[in-house]
Amino acid sequence: MKFEKNQKIENKVPTSSMADIAFLLLIFFMVTTIFKMEDGLPVTLPRVETAQKQKREKIMNIWIDGGGNISINDKITQVSQIEDILLTMLSERPDLIVAFMADDRAPYGVVSDVMEELKDANAIRVSFTSDPKSVGAPRRRQ
Amino acid sequence: MKKMQAKSRPTTEFSAASMSDIAFLLLIFFLVTTIFALEQGIPLVLPGKESSNVKVKRKNILEVKAYPNGAVVVEDEQVPLARLRALVERRLAQNDKLIVVIQTHPDAEYGLMVDILDELKLAKCRRISLKTMKG
Repeated sequence: MKFEKNQKIENKVPTSSMADIAFLLLIFFMVTTIFKMEDGLPVTLPRVETAQKQKREKIMNIWIDGGGNISINDKITQVSQIEDILLTMLSERPDLIVAFMADDRAPYGVVSDVMEELKDANAIRVSFTSDPKSVGAPRRRQ
Repeated sequence: MKKMQAKSRPTTEFSAASMSDIAFLLLIFFLVTTIFALEQGIPLVLPGKESSNVKVKRKNILEVKAYPNGAVVVEDEQVPLARLRALVERRLAQNDKLIVVIQTHPDAEYGLMVDILDELKLAKCRRISLKTMKG
């Protein structure tokens, strides 16, 4: 009678498919990562020391440049339109934080007008966005 | 006679053993370097539409005025920004109910108001009010 060969149990983990798994994960993350970029307006943000980090999801940016132009969602906006825009945004996200991406040299009157609109729309959480790259750098004014 | 050497055939197979290393390296590199850009700024809660006007005693108010020429004036006296913090800290020590009102001229630079706000936050001032001067 023919004896069967003593079969050895393999004790190796098959690593040949590891590369596939890793590449799959890599490609998955590369594809699903969306960098949402808003162009806004070119601004020089103020430098501050007491800045706090804000969650990006909650934030809606309002750009105000040195000339007093206002941009929301990549559209140049008039002050009178802000309330309507905000009311729509607030109905979607009640905990919305409105972040002022305002230029250091923007006239305060425009910022103040926008803030009045925010109050009217009951968007009371605001944040004055500062320059993230200048942590520890001296302020422009002394 | 010498033993004939076996003809060494050049292997045509691509070595896939290090592929997983490369892939994981890339994976880890991207995981580590991806920064979910957090935005930072000075948070503030504005008074809402429904909030009523509260009457405050005059002695509990400290007015800080900001002018278009960059001047910061506290009680008719021009104060450099560097000294504002100490001044507010001193006032807060005297009166813990103090409300600081930042009165900014409409033509003043927004950055000046933010600088004042920053100084007030550094001085641990909790009650801050923003006001715009009648232009």
